[in-house]
Amino acid sequence: MASNAAAPFWRSAGMTYITYSNLCANLVRNCLKEPYKAEALSREKVHYSISKWADGKPQKPSKHSHLFFLH
Amino acid sequence: MAMAALRREGRRFATPLISPNPANVFRSSLIPSEEPVLSGVRCISTQVVRNRMKSVKNIQKITKAMKMVAASKLRAIQTRAENSRGLWQPFTALLGDTPSIDVKKNVIVTISADKGLCGGINSTSVKISRAMHKLNSGPDKENKYVVLGEKAKAQLVRDSKKDIELVMTELQKNPLNYTQVSVMADDILKNVEFDALRIVYNKFQSVVSFLPTVSTVLSPEVVEREAESGGKLGDLDLYEIEGAETKAEVLQNLTEFQFSCMMYNAVLENATSEQGARMSAMDSSSRNAGDMLDRLTLTYNRTRQASITTELIEIISGASALEG
Amino acid sequence: MFRHGSRFLSRASTMRWRRPFSTDLPAEAYKDSNFVEAWRKAIPTVEPPSTPSAFMATRPATPSSIPSKLTVNFVLPYSSELSGKEVDMVIIPATTGQMGVLPGHVATIAELKPGILSVHEGNDVSKYFVSGGFAYVHANSFADIITVEAVPLDRIDPNLVQKGLTDFTQKLSTASTDVEKAEAQIGVDVHSALNAALTG
Repeated sequence: MASNAAAPFWRSAGMTYITYSNLCANLVRNCLKEPYKAEALSREKVHYSISKWADGKPQKPSKHSHLFFLH
Repeated sequence: MAMAALRREGRRFATPLISPNPANVFRSSLIPSEEPVLSGVRCISTQVVRNRMKSVKNIQKITKAMKMVAASKLRAIQTRAENSRGLWQPFTALLGDTPSIDVKKNVIVTISADKGLCGGINSTSVKISRAMHKLNSGPDKENKYVVLGEKAKAQLVRDSKKDIELVMTELQKNPLNYTQVSVMADDILKNVEFDALRIVYNKFQSVVSFLPTVSTVLSPEVVEREAESGGKLGDLDLYEIEGAETKAEVLQNLTEFQFSCMMYNAVLENATSEQGARMSAMDSSSRNAGDMLDRLTLTYNRTRQASITTELIEIISGASALEG
Repeated sequence: MFRHGSRFLSRASTMRWRRPFSTDLPAEAYKDSNFVEAWRKAIPTVEPPSTPSAFMATRPATPSSIPSKLTVNFVLPYSSELSGKEVDMVIIPATTGQMGVLPGHVATIAELKPGILSVHEGNDVSKYFVSGGFAYVHANSFADIITVEAVPLDRIDPNLVQKGLTDFTQKLSTASTDVEKAEAQIGVDVHSALNAALTG
């Protein structure tokens, strides 16, 4: 079954717990029957814009707009 | 869209709207050159009043529409905010509430709205954030801002732009949801170094009451230090830990998860307060517009009556002159 | 335009659709006195802000004898599945294995893996598939379970689970970067857990 207890392989790949738990949740949502699946996936849409600031000036803004990770 | 329209209307009629005594404005705008098309002074004055009544009516229509929009948005988001209130409580039960923690690197997460016309909630967030900055400043201490929303950005840029580390906007293109807020929390974790994150937001209480609130999230290192030294989190050592190899690892996962859950509730509470405040603001604007419309109607009728009376007098006196 | 606040206040209190919140508590709850004092000293012009503990539902102290029921809060971001519900037992999918929690359980912090959470009340057992998260068991027989996603087992489509398992096993064998490998591994883990939950 699930590989557990071992040092989290996802953290060594550069993921945080937030990314990891979101990926798991999204995979579960993708295995739902309709209409639950469509409902769950449409609920969790991601869009925002972020810009890093340094010395009182914004660096290049990077846009995020995607459904979420895989699929 | 409605906001732009309101702004346009507002600008066009800015002077008369602000003027405390509308009658003065009409008198000053009675100068014939302003409306050369119309003949006769009396005619102009009723025309001007009628125009103003039309514009006030339009403003009222817009504010009423904005109020309805805010009310329906409020209903949707209030449900979500209430549903998210169970999410943070377990973390506070476990890790405590530690606003007075004294650490070196402070990151203040200021949550505000992208849009205005929602009362004082954006300024409140900024005011509390600046105060947190002041409260936690010291010789070897660092304070950085992570700003959510255009409005807080616009205010903080004025005096604290050196301390701004990240700015996030356009949160509400889609209905707010956990995935979105957690991805943002993730971006914050990846881009700033902190010992304590202090999330500043307006907690929704009712449509007229928003409580400025500060939630504190500590870094795993600080949590461990406090737990071991028997400080604020002394009780944490009483818990057995089931999970990854080391306690540090579990604490890291735990605090990351705590941050995204706290952020999620904070963003929702603030968005609910925003809609509530906007609804209140638009409600009182509509009412003010209504009051103004009443006054204008009165002025209009009076002016019209006066001109009719004058005309009658003219006719009668003309007739009597002929007879005489 | 916004000048008539006081008038509005009196009107708003009679607004039809305003409703009380079950999670709200009276405002005089606990405040961190050090924080409030430091704040008053440094920023006398601004009222100190609230902190989360002011809005917390109060929790009882650890009773001297073990209570007969376990009080469970089972929360998702978009809903509170169980809120302060008294049950006989919960079995949670800790990363170290399924863990049964009865009243009087030792205080524990458990990280969850994708798996089955079951809640036992008398003869009733409700089962959820949870995607992962945390569970805290407190000394006062309170258990908090926080997960990102949880669904009743009958909402899972077995065909999609099988397909996902095949796809991710395939992906794992061809993945080249660390991130791809990790993502594929997570995919295999979650789908295996789903599969085990449905067949087991």
